[in-house]
Amino acid sequence: MSSTLVATVLGADWQTLADAMGQGGLYALMAVGIGLVFGVLRLVNFAYGQLIMAGAYALAVASERGWPVWEGILLCFGVVLVLTLAMDRVVFRPLRAHSPAVMLVATFAVAFLLQSIALLWFGSLGKIAASLATLNQPVTISGVDIRKISIVTTAVAIGCLLVLVAVLGRTSVGLHMRAAALDFRTARLLGVRANRVIGAAVLISGLLAATVAVMMTVETPLVTPDFALRDTILVLAGVVLGGMNRLVPATLGGFAIGFASGFLGGALPTDKSQYLPSFLFAAVILVLLIRPGGLFTRAGGQAVERL
Amino acid sequence: MSDPALRLEALEVRHGAVHALRGLSLEVDRGEIVGLIGPNGAGKSSTLHAVMGLMRPSAGDVRLGGESIVGRDPEAIARRGIALVPEGRRIFAELSVEENLRLGLAGRRGRGDHDADLQRVFALFPIVEEFRKRPAGSLSGGQQQQLAIGRALVAAPDVLLLDEPSLGLAPRVVDLVFSALQEISAAGIAVLLVEQRAQRTVALASRTYVLSNGSLRLTLGPEAAGDTEKLVAAYFA
Amino acid sequence: MTHLRVTRIVELLAPALLVGAVALVGTIVSTSTQTYVITTLVNIVIVVALYVFIGNSGVLSFGHVSFVAVGAWTGGILSIPLAEKPAIMPSLFGFLRDTTVGNASSLALAAAVGATFALVVGLPLMRLSGLAAGIATFGVLEITHNVLRYWEKIGPGVTTFSAVPETTGLLQAMVGALIAVVVAYLYQRSRYGRMLRATREDAAAARAVGVSVYGQRLVAFMLSGGLAGLAGALYVHLLPVNTESVYLDLTFITLAMLVIGGATSLWGAVVGAVAVSAVDSFLAEAENGVHVFGRLLDLPAGTRVVVVGAFMALVLIVRPSGITGGREFSLPVTSARALLTKSRP
Repeated sequence: MSSTLVATVLGADWQTLADAMGQGGLYALMAVGIGLVFGVLRLVNFAYGQLIMAGAYALAVASERGWPVWEGILLCFGVVLVLTLAMDRVVFRPLRAHSPAVMLVATFAVAFLLQSIALLWFGSLGKIAASLATLNQPVTISGVDIRKISIVTTAVAIGCLLVLVAVLGRTSVGLHMRAAALDFRTARLLGVRANRVIGAAVLISGLLAATVAVMMTVETPLVTPDFALRDTILVLAGVVLGGMNRLVPATLGGFAIGFASGFLGGALPTDKSQYLPSFLFAAVILVLLIRPGGLFTRAGGQAVERL
Repeated sequence: MSDPALRLEALEVRHGAVHALRGLSLEVDRGEIVGLIGPNGAGKSSTLHAVMGLMRPSAGDVRLGGESIVGRDPEAIARRGIALVPEGRRIFAELSVEENLRLGLAGRRGRGDHDADLQRVFALFPIVEEFRKRPAGSLSGGQQQQLAIGRALVAAPDVLLLDEPSLGLAPRVVDLVFSALQEISAAGIAVLLVEQRAQRTVALASRTYVLSNGSLRLTLGPEAAGDTEKLVAAYFA
Repeated sequence: MTHLRVTRIVELLAPALLVGAVALVGTIVSTSTQTYVITTLVNIVIVVALYVFIGNSGVLSFGHVSFVAVGAWTGGILSIPLAEKPAIMPSLFGFLRDTTVGNASSLALAAAVGATFALVVGLPLMRLSGLAAGIATFGVLEITHNVLRYWEKIGPGVTTFSAVPETTGLLQAMVGALIAVVVAYLYQRSRYGRMLRATREDAAAARAVGVSVYGQRLVAFMLSGGLAGLAGALYVHLLPVNTESVYLDLTFITLAMLVIGGATSLWGAVVGAVAVSAVDSFLAEAENGVHVFGRLLDLPAGTRVVVVGAFMALVLIVRPSGITGGREFSLPVTSARALLTKSRP
């Protein structure tokens, strides 16, 4: 069995590799979105996938009505940003004082709530978001066919991450966010405005969710109420695996699980790929047992504080 | 007669049923160093926390330049021209020295040029300038204390609060810090210095209050610095 | 009788009587409504199982429904008549294909398998806390769902269970719920339960006095796994079960019941299960069109999940300790007596 696995892995084609890079990139962006909010609020947003779902529905609605692509994207961003800000006001802020357990379960509840609202509103059959379908066409690079979307996703992910590094590293807001994630109380004592920092983190996380929604609908044009739910679960696992407490390890964790998922999903034959979620999660559990603080953090790191 | 830079009026702070502070009143004027000493648990840190808005006083008032600041958020208070150098320094170890200083800018009131204030800090604490690119966690305890004070000064405050700055520092470094405090107050800033080292504080400050069990026991002038008996009596009153 | 003893008895009687009351309601309603009542009683078993672990340890587990699933699979497969098995599940393991047991045995075995599975899962996982525990237990849910869905040697795979004898009527469900309540009560009154609750309040302090956090958590995990397994078997004998019905939706609704009722008390668990089930059942009826005060209420399908979800979020934001405040039921008399006899500091 292992020899066939190795052979499969080595024999994987460029399309699979490109796909895996793209998926890794997408998951990395989601990881940042989740990690930023966690850094300043110490809150794990289970409902992050629902933001992406909302954006995807916006794209689907725009596509159904025949809107031009750019208007659809604008609607997507608008809807996601409004929903993110609403989530912050209604859910995050009141919950700030509670334990991580309560926050986790609360965002779990919000995730289900939004999913069921979508079910109610749009039905279970789903809508098609066909606006950027042309990106599914392959482009030929030195004799190999690769779908444009894989390249675009990877490029967009790298671009976003570079912009984020610049924002976090060079701007005052970025500095304040980093400081708040390290020691919120002292940061406030120095004059860092709590609300602004939280708002900035929430805003950026929303922008990332919208971006991910646009990319995701190209590969998966059918938008259903559980759109991006699996991905969120995997990204959360990846983030905890990489190291929840710091942004860089969290992002790496997200990338790693995205890449692994994309690669194995594409490279393994169907009968084995059925059990892919099990392998991924078994790996996650194993890592959590050996390194509860995360793979990419310093050894001996503490898992996030107990409930 | 103008308002003192900082005035506490009958300040009361409770931790549940325990009285951390019972009706504390004191004043600090521009250019003064006022000391606050006392045994552990006397309520010294609680005083500073209450002033900075980390704790809500159950009674009494805190006035900054005549204006009441009770009930505001810590960041709002910090932006009104009062800065705290917290107990244990609390610098951001993973950020660079320079980034730590830049964080202090968050407390500035005007949009004015901060270069001059930065230069003043570098003049006071040359080591901060020398190590500006290094991660703040790589500095020694004494160097971190200088950074913490510098970070507070960069905000150009009217009032500077310090919570046990000499804790864990070598005597030579304590000298450095205390003489820096003299320069700082000479520049017009009102300094409230909470300390454990009774003798040095009493010698440095224009007057020193002794806090015990949440209330003021005694006020000492610098002339009492040599009077060990008096100091000991004050602590155990 | 001392005030303390009265409190203790009340602590068991209140949830038990509530279970009885629910069962009683089941006897007087129509047959279609009775299904909701029976489902409520089964839900009580699941929520009590959740409480036994989560409520006493303070550690979140998203994976308990996997024990329900395993219990359902065990109870279901072992009770399908021998003649029908090869037709429905041709790939079944020999041992499973050739064995069929009676009703009570299928329930007992399901509980045993649930507890054993919980032991296997708990051995590595009970070391974790907080977020890591949440993610790891979620992983268990995912793995169980994944395996049960595709491994046709141990079950129907993607297809729904059929030909399982429908033995979970009002009586069976009520007995199941009572068993759960009694077991949970005995556990929380026992040394083990108290030691675990100590770790919930302050793990470091508990360790300092010699309590094994890991060990106590494992005990509770196993116990709750057994109860969840029992619930699964009750469930499979009631309704057609498939991998999706013991997955995320059930996880969500049972967690909602626990949270809304009050996660840290047995009373809270039972109250939550009953309250949410009642609302859920009513809304399910309303989705089919129901008469309220003489007027027809016809809600679109899917409303019930929205309402329950919104309710859960609201409770968490406004009153995280739940309807009961996380406390056991106490009689007003005993409270007053307690006040009067309280020693002065």
